[in-house]
Amino acid sequence: MLASGFFIAGAVVCAVSVIVAVVATFARDYPDDIAILGVAAVELFLIVYGVAAGIRQAGGDPVSGELWEFWGYLLTALLIPVLAFWWAVTDKTRWSNLVLAAVGATVFVMLFRMEQIWHGGVLA
Amino acid sequence: MRRQERQTGLGRIIIAVYGIFALAATARAGYQIATEFSEAPVAYLLSALAAVVYIVATVALASRRPGSWRLSLAAVGFEFLGVVVVGVLSFAVPHLFAHPAVWSHFGSGYGYVPLVLPLVGLWWLVRHRDPAEVRTAAT
Repeated sequence: MLASGFFIAGAVVCAVSVIVAVVATFARDYPDDIAILGVAAVELFLIVYGVAAGIRQAGGDPVSGELWEFWGYLLTALLIPVLAFWWAVTDKTRWSNLVLAAVGATVFVMLFRMEQIWHGGVLA
Repeated sequence: MRRQERQTGLGRIIIAVYGIFALAATARAGYQIATEFSEAPVAYLLSALAAVVYIVATVALASRRPGSWRLSLAAVGFEFLGVVVVGVLSFAVPHLFAHPAVWSHFGSGYGYVPLVLPLVGLWWLVRHRDPAEVRTAAT
């Protein structure tokens, strides 16, 4: 079976965010606005994903792994774009773009894990 | 101006990575010593040593107090020696390293980050020498 629409959407958002921020690391010597918008998009995706997961799980969609592990990952993932944004605001150098780039990569791995815990696998 | 630069930009990323390793190495060494110390005591004691070195390096790199540049250089230099010596020992006397530790096999369990990190750290510290400490050393 195909990966879920949420997983595909999340992967695309994370990938775009990483690419923009890596380009900004080379092209800008300050945190780029679009790189910041990228991590904002990642955060927005995580909020939508969390709300949808809450509604679907409350409506009887079973979590195949540990419930607390799924929500632990989600709450931790929600903090990551916020921390990177704080980093970029407090350190206005080229290298903040690289920190912003790490957000999409980290959140993608965590989304992969969340899909595994929820559905028992990304392709299941 | 130069003094502030040591803690910003890439320097801040280096401090964060050291902080993560300090946390991870401390948690892992603590857990291994508490639960399975007798199985590979040498490896786990060296993991504990690595944890202490990472803590000292993180604090020294982040600190702006006089002397912190020299302390970071010492900690990062010791770290590099540690990775190389423990890496060689883990291949030369593998029975002492029956269980994986932070620095064994040159940090392969951590994606060789423990081997690359001190090199990046030393390069950064040499590029951001504390001018006050260079003056004291010269006189």
